[in-house]
Amino acid sequence: MEQIIANGIYLGAQYAMIALGLTLIFALMNVLNFAHGQMYVLGGFVTYTFYGQLGWPFVLALLASCITLAILGALIEKFLFAPVIRRSSREESTMLLAAGLAFLFDAVILLVFGEKQRGVPKIINGVFNWDFRLIMPYDRILICALAILSIVGFILFMQYSKTGRALRALAQDRTAAQLMGVNVDRYSMIGFALGAMLAGLVGGLLVTITGVNLGMGGPTSIKAFMMVMIGGAGVISGAIAGGIILGFLEAIGLAVLSQYGDITYLLIFVSLMIFLAIRPQGLMGKPWG
Amino acid sequence: MSNLLEVRHVTKKFGGLTANNNISFNVHENEILSVIGPNGAGKSTLFKMISSFLPTTSGEVLFRGERISNLKPHVVARKGVVRTFQETTIFKSMTVRESIVVAQHLRARASLAGYFWGTKTAHEDVDSFGQYADDLIEFLGMTPIAHELASNLPQGNLRALGIAIGLATDPQVLLLDEPFAGMNHDETMKMVNLVRKVRDDRGVTVLLVEHDMPAVMNISDRIVVLNFGEMIAEGTPSDIQNNDKVIEAYLGSADDEIGI
Amino acid sequence: MPKLNTFQWAGLAAFLFAVFFAVPAFVAASGRTDLYYTLTSVALLSIASAGVWLTFYIGRINIGQGAFALIGAYASAILVTKAGMSFWLSLPLAGLFAAGVAILIGLPILRLRGVYFAMISLVLTQVVTLTALALPITNGAKGITSIPLPGAVSVFGLTLIPDFATLENPRLAFYYTACALMVITFAAMYRLVNSRLGHLCRSMQQNEELAASIGVNIAYIRIIVFAISSFLGGIGGAMFGSIAQSVYPSSFQVADSVNFMLNCFLGGLGYVFGPMLGTLVLYFGWDLLFELGRYQLLVYSGLLIILMLVLPNGLLSLRLGKGGGQGR
Repeated sequence: MEQIIANGIYLGAQYAMIALGLTLIFALMNVLNFAHGQMYVLGGFVTYTFYGQLGWPFVLALLASCITLAILGALIEKFLFAPVIRRSSREESTMLLAAGLAFLFDAVILLVFGEKQRGVPKIINGVFNWDFRLIMPYDRILICALAILSIVGFILFMQYSKTGRALRALAQDRTAAQLMGVNVDRYSMIGFALGAMLAGLVGGLLVTITGVNLGMGGPTSIKAFMMVMIGGAGVISGAIAGGIILGFLEAIGLAVLSQYGDITYLLIFVSLMIFLAIRPQGLMGKPWG
Repeated sequence: MSNLLEVRHVTKKFGGLTANNNISFNVHENEILSVIGPNGAGKSTLFKMISSFLPTTSGEVLFRGERISNLKPHVVARKGVVRTFQETTIFKSMTVRESIVVAQHLRARASLAGYFWGTKTAHEDVDSFGQYADDLIEFLGMTPIAHELASNLPQGNLRALGIAIGLATDPQVLLLDEPFAGMNHDETMKMVNLVRKVRDDRGVTVLLVEHDMPAVMNISDRIVVLNFGEMIAEGTPSDIQNNDKVIEAYLGSADDEIGI
Repeated sequence: MPKLNTFQWAGLAAFLFAVFFAVPAFVAASGRTDLYYTLTSVALLSIASAGVWLTFYIGRINIGQGAFALIGAYASAILVTKAGMSFWLSLPLAGLFAAGVAILIGLPILRLRGVYFAMISLVLTQVVTLTALALPITNGAKGITSIPLPGAVSVFGLTLIPDFATLENPRLAFYYTACALMVITFAAMYRLVNSRLGHLCRSMQQNEELAASIGVNIAYIRIIVFAISSFLGGIGGAMFGSIAQSVYPSSFQVADSVNFMLNCFLGGLGYVFGPMLGTLVLYFGWDLLFELGRYQLLVYSGLLIILMLVLPNGLLSLRLGKGGGQGR
């Protein structure tokens, strides 16, 4: 029992971070970022390069992941999404662009880092063991704590900083924000950069535990979509709730149903569909957000 | 005078908030009845319940003695009670004529498969839709804009297009959602004449919700007044003008909202 | 009812001539029989994409066609291998089975709109893959293999379709079959879009509430359209299974579902023939870039992005919406 709860928190915290970035981008620009999983993988590879290959301190490598992805996100928004949104007659066109980007990132990762699974040295050794009731390696505990800290930091940032307030105004009502004097173009770019940075940060954190490989992008995106659907698209609290719920479902499923193979996910999918039939806007979403 | 539409003890609660409390009134055949009230009086909630776009919490709405509340909107439309929307709800990338042709869905006699295979009935339907659309366009004086895209029309024409779409279904009762909102005096008078013409020439009973008082006084046979979700008065325009409760309700609210 | 003008008739005749005579003649002359496989794939993928396009037409972004293609492929494979049914009978049944599943799934999920529907449809492919892995009848990860080639069909001793296994070149036979199916599909789509159902779809795409207010049973139309869409997905999938003579849980993946969507976007969502053109361009583009080896994906995705920047409304938007498809 304790083990399941601990695993749930550990998974939930990292999932919530992934979902936060996705939901932020969605809330600001109404863009469903298919490339989010790839951004996460890219973040993992950056940390892998600086920490695993070049031997930088882990924290600096993590910072490098954040900065790389933030710059990448900003550039993508400015030169790709913003022009397409401006010129397209349908908002769905951004989905094609996002899908193209997902392919592009996959291609870049393939060329630069190859297909192989990459890992990095452990940041701390040792395992926390409480009477065999709860076993968890120290590095997982650390990563989990860092993830929770980042989430708290993100919420505080959104709540109290000037940028955060502008972003929230923008997410709530684009036109009203513009009337209030928010520079919409600039904050869309900042928001996209922030969302990409969050993906890169989780990638960097998790590379120390799960390693990273090319194929992780797509499935990560799908999980992120599910979390956003559970919690409600475009809502920060919803993304966190969705992440934690999915984390716990997975932890429980793996503990209880592991002998049946992939059935955990099948059950999660089916319950998600039933849930959405009853509550289409997710837990905390606005109707038809 | 027979009761075409009966609103019986209709109540709507959103959580702890009562939007409509125990509202009852009748709409007679071939009359124009307006529901008015200050902002937040519960007019649009009532409107949505009558057209089944919202379920009631309790009470019911009858049309020719048949319940039409708590059904699907399209079922209510099929029975002959059709609502319009405010101007933003249109078929943006269809022309005026296309919109009116599509809106004759209820008059179709051939099945969907019949249209696909092009049966004789389907061909007759298509011809009759076109004919009816042209008649309606002429009736409403929209001939010059018949082939304009809806998204290119100015506001006043959009309101008329909304009514045209509603009329294309050949309704018995037309429910109009704030047909005069945001219009200047001339536009309002044009719309008043149009609504009257619809009732006089086509025999359509009209129920409208509105807060433009002068227009309502001008057009209505009878008026129902709501305030804070309660029905506070019912009667002819002159009754309503001299009703103390109504005067109080309107004086109690911000003057600029009334439009007097 | 739509009537084709002379120019459109000529275009149609040229298209049919190219598909059924010019291409086989070219292949015979050049000896490039590999083209058959490519073009057969394009034809089948464009059938499935046409289904996706139709769901776009009621305003739903469908990224789940891979799920129905997989369902169709399994349904046909099981009917042929386990029940010994003729492939030609299993083909429509596979489509109908996919449509039936679509009705069941569609009842809850078609209430969702916008991004929500897009996301849940994306998840569908994964669900079907996992189901195929879990069920005994689909034979788990091993899949269904050694599916016999389509047999002969004869009426009163007259052979309408020969047994593919006895043919010298089954590839050509599959090519003809796929193209015939594609032509039928798009003719039906054109007809449908220009008939009353198409007009109702368009009214729903633009405003569901207004459509409901004029008496359109929007829930019913949504289900019908989703069922037709999935029927086409099932047909496409079943044909693929028959050509490959095998079906695995990974035969259609999330990436395939995304590709079906891309085909539609690329061709242009306002045009019935958009998915056909989109599929052709994307598939051939991918194939042509094969020479680039490890840079294939890079260049392909780069081109896709550039195309999006230059033509955000699809390839057929170059024609500025004249004729072709937009129902009027």
